[in-house]
Amino acid sequence: MNADARQDFAFAFLSILFEGAPFILVGTLISGFIDVYLPAGTMDRFLPKNRNLAVMVAGLLGAVFPVCECAVVPVIRRLVGKGLPMSCALTYMLAAPIVNPITALSTWKAFQGQAPWMMTGGRLLLGYLVAVGVGLVVARIPLRKVLRKSLADRIEAEGRGGHADHDHDHDGCCGHDHAHHPADHAPADDGRLVAAMRSAMRDFVDVGVYFTIGVAITALFNTGIAPGAEWLDGLAGNPVAAPAALMALAFILSLCSTSDAFIAATLAKFTWGAKLAFLVFGPMLDVKLLFLYQTVMRRRFILGLGVALFVVIWGAAIVAQAWLMNVR
Amino acid sequence: MKPELRRILFSLAVLLWAAGLLYFHGSGRIVKYLAPDFRSIALLGGLGLAVMGLFNLLTAFQKADCGHNHGEEDDHEGGELNPLVTLLMMTLPLAMSIAWTKDEFSQATLARKGLYDDGAAADASLFTSDLPPLTIAEIEKGHRKTADGYLEFGLIELFFATGDRELQGLLGGLKIETEGRIVAEKENNEKGTRRRLYRMFMTCCVADSRAIPIVLEFGKEPPLLPENGWVKVAGTMTFPKRDGIVQAVLEVDRATAAEVPAEENFLRR
Repeated sequence: MNADARQDFAFAFLSILFEGAPFILVGTLISGFIDVYLPAGTMDRFLPKNRNLAVMVAGLLGAVFPVCECAVVPVIRRLVGKGLPMSCALTYMLAAPIVNPITALSTWKAFQGQAPWMMTGGRLLLGYLVAVGVGLVVARIPLRKVLRKSLADRIEAEGRGGHADHDHDHDGCCGHDHAHHPADHAPADDGRLVAAMRSAMRDFVDVGVYFTIGVAITALFNTGIAPGAEWLDGLAGNPVAAPAALMALAFILSLCSTSDAFIAATLAKFTWGAKLAFLVFGPMLDVKLLFLYQTVMRRRFILGLGVALFVVIWGAAIVAQAWLMNVR
Repeated sequence: MKPELRRILFSLAVLLWAAGLLYFHGSGRIVKYLAPDFRSIALLGGLGLAVMGLFNLLTAFQKADCGHNHGEEDDHEGGELNPLVTLLMMTLPLAMSIAWTKDEFSQATLARKGLYDDGAAADASLFTSDLPPLTIAEIEKGHRKTADGYLEFGLIELFFATGDRELQGLLGGLKIETEGRIVAEKENNEKGTRRRLYRMFMTCCVADSRAIPIVLEFGKEPPLLPENGWVKVAGTMTFPKRDGIVQAVLEVDRATAAEVPAEENFLRR
């Protein structure tokens, strides 16, 4: 990299980092406090008994329990282990990083001057519909075809079977295994604050690492340093190829949903539909999530889920872009 | 790695990010990177990170009982990566970028961001709110006049007039003064009498910025002015067509070096 390229990279890198870091902080503070203070059973109690209705409500729980995609996987892993239906857990896992107030605010803020309400509304709506669609399909698939063998064994051994039985047995305080001693529920407010701040810091650095990598790659493309930047630019105006290209980019960048809008907003040459695809697909599947999902789900299911998400979101982005062009 | 050491390393990573944000804000350099409303968010973010980092650093050796019995899976703070690797990955790119940055883009990236693009027809609809009123009387009312009779215009108004025929008719032939940064004109400049004037237009951060240029025609050898320096130019506005594209060309009467304005970039209001 020559001196000019270093200067350009640094200028773009710092601007995106400074812009996104405060939003990651807000997201991880909330997730840290949820991690420590929120009992796991709380979410279960929000869900109706009807299976389809429960999936639809699960898609909205991110509005009440906002977590980004990095934080949501460990949470649903515990919730599934405690008997939350897999369809609801998966719906929540896919929707929560998008359908939550922090992501909505950061998307709206990042797209100032670029039809922010339309992009924010489109992102939330498409994210919700895709997540609920996946949940409704998963509700009809046997648990063993979805979950890792060890997790499925444990659930079946405990006789829960992954259905919405709502038999709260007081083992879920905040997503942790408890030994049913009275001391487990003893208040420890000072310690909890420290634990919450530590949890928030853990989330911040976990997300911060991936965000740094994502910002670096974006800065390389933004300033034309990265190989393939010209090729990517060439696809920018193509209503069919552009969404696929940006979905592939979102997969590689592995950005946090609380800050990815700041990257998408800089992709000025790309169509609106392509940016929408980037913002919906990225929080549902990327490189880091591929690894995280394997702690809960079978590899074959993840592959199928990935293909389905790609095709559905790609198609939706093309249709949305065509609709937008007609309206204009 | 001991949990206490891990907490210290994570705290350091958070504190270094906080230091970066607060330093750029405190030094005033943040104005080159972020639009105004993001600057205060960055300040709050820097302060918040500083609180989080300091709190965790000062309580690194304190035992924290969250009220749960944990299995081996999660103690609320075990990260995905080695803490030392995490610290390096979070802070090295930041430190290197702070060392490398000159608070501006090179000419090559400016070219990529539209420095040598002419004509704004495709984007004009996005900026209609920035366009001036459509009668000469209203234009004169909305723009100050210099002592020698030139109307003061923002460069962005002149640039986006290339996408509006009515505005071209009103501004064409008008005596105007504007300011921006001056660079060489690369094409259609065989006689060497032309230069280019530009400013950046930023929506949220400088990564999403684009150059807003017009052409300066001196009619003779241009005066010696620092390359990429700030200048004030005054002259007659014209909108000739080149290869079917309308250009904004200012036939310059005078050009002088100028102070750097408080807000270098155009901002969306």
